[in-house]
Amino acid sequence: MRRASSPRLVGFAALTAVGLVAALALRRPELAVLVSPFALVLSLGLRPLERPVVDAQLVVAADRVVEGDGIDATLRVRAGTAVDRLELRLVLPDLVEAVDADAFALRLGAGEARELSLTLRCGRWGLYDVGPVELRARDALRVVVWESRTGSTLPLKAYPRSERLRSLLAPRETQVYTGSEVARTKGDGIEYADLREYVPGDRLRSVNWRASARRNALVVNEQHPERNTDVVLFVDSFADLRQAGRSTLDDAVRATASLAARYLERRDRVGLVTYGGLLRWLRPGMGTRQRFLLVETLLETGVEPTYTWRDVSVIPAHVLPPKALVLGVTPLLDARYVATLGDLRARGFDVAVVEVDPVGLVDPGPADLDRLAHRLWLLEREVLLARLSRLGIAVARWSETADLDAALEGVTTYRRRARLARV
Amino acid sequence: MLALWGGSDAVLAVGVRLAALALVALLGAIVLGWSALVPAGAALLGAGYATRLAADDVPLDVRAPLLAAGLLLVVELAYWSLEARLHALGERGEDLRRLAVVLLLALASLGIAATLLAVSDLVRTGGLAIDLLGAAAAAGSLVLLALLALGPARAGGR
Repeated sequence: MRRASSPRLVGFAALTAVGLVAALALRRPELAVLVSPFALVLSLGLRPLERPVVDAQLVVAADRVVEGDGIDATLRVRAGTAVDRLELRLVLPDLVEAVDADAFALRLGAGEARELSLTLRCGRWGLYDVGPVELRARDALRVVVWESRTGSTLPLKAYPRSERLRSLLAPRETQVYTGSEVARTKGDGIEYADLREYVPGDRLRSVNWRASARRNALVVNEQHPERNTDVVLFVDSFADLRQAGRSTLDDAVRATASLAARYLERRDRVGLVTYGGLLRWLRPGMGTRQRFLLVETLLETGVEPTYTWRDVSVIPAHVLPPKALVLGVTPLLDARYVATLGDLRARGFDVAVVEVDPVGLVDPGPADLDRLAHRLWLLEREVLLARLSRLGIAVARWSETADLDAALEGVTTYRRRARLARV
Repeated sequence: MLALWGGSDAVLAVGVRLAALALVALLGAIVLGWSALVPAGAALLGAGYATRLAADDVPLDVRAPLLAAGLLLVVELAYWSLEARLHALGERGEDLRRLAVVLLLALASLGIAATLLAVSDLVRTGGLAIDLLGAAAAAGSLVLLALLALGPARAGGR
């Protein structure tokens, strides 16, 4: 540990010096007597002391946590020499906090070990480095201080918390593997589709005996098979609007993680494209591994400013399989993202958008001109939504007042009724 | 107030102002967390006492040891308040132990200061002796201050 001067040491020395000089100048021994206690404490505190030997190590119960949830951690301290007061402070990154305290004060004997329990909480999803531990040892008189930093940093991944989702957007087309989506085609399945005349080779169990009796000919039931779908979550990372602890990008990542988890539960293949200054993608896949890959790719999402024009050509073709539902998650603030949505629609992809509504985050401003600009901006957004609607792109508006589930239900209704626009 | 007790009106006026300034400095130190204001506050309190001694030209003041112990208590408690700003989760009984150490220091200071005052009274007649002693003490404290300033830099490595 490194010895450092404490404020008390400097202050006491200064007071002693001033008092003695004043006593000499004024020829008053009382002034020397007045500062004698400070000289006493200094002489006692500066006696040769053994350099403290302390080791501290931080252990976190897991390296993954859901944002907002607590995670247990243990601070293991071991003293090689006796320390009258040992202060430990855990160095935490922004948005990570210790629930009770991040600093401790202990008195340790030589060879004594101690374990301190604490709970950490991440205020936002992301990748964090927790630690190291700052140590400060003081003697009984608090005159001398030894300081050091010990322990390495521990990586901590804070996953976005899930939004409540009961229903999901169903893609128009299904894929070939078994899943939970009722296909439009006919085949082996559970959902009733139609009746047709019996042909040799049909199974007897599929004969509809009531219908056959009415028609005097064998009639069999046809079913819709249950198939999986391909969904590509298309996250807009061009812009982030942040105010009062809320951020459009934070919400977009939370929505994307929730949607991915729900689609993967249905055995759908889910891919990811974060589209912004930096393009990241993950090919569609299924299963638990894909879920973790998706979330960990999302954790790296951030706004990387760029002024270059980007279009759909920068997205690798294998990331966007045919018949996939491309589900955009965006605040609809950047023209490049909106143009890319139109391009994808023009290429025949089934496109829908979850709009992370930024309107609530924008203050109209005090001046008349500000409010006029705000109204114009709102009108422009309405025009934009109408344009997307004309292209056959349904938009689910997710704001503070409407939860994601309700927003998706609105889009499902829209898609059920709307005819696909010719583009 | 103990230091100014029995002083002339002019001394009281100056002393009260200095005490008020000292109070502001100490409060500022605690509220703002500026530890440098603590010795400044203590120095202002001492300045009030020095004004009384110099202006009224009182004989040897026997209250000096009591004032010395009181001044140490004030400064120690101010530094204690600053240390408490860390909000460290401490152990049970730590505050009581610290209080006992501070009170013990104050008591020891009282004894040492009384002894010093008695010795200075004894050597008071030999004017040159006290001058030399004072000069040596002042020089010693300055050397000590310089050593302390250099100490952490020299002992910087592990």
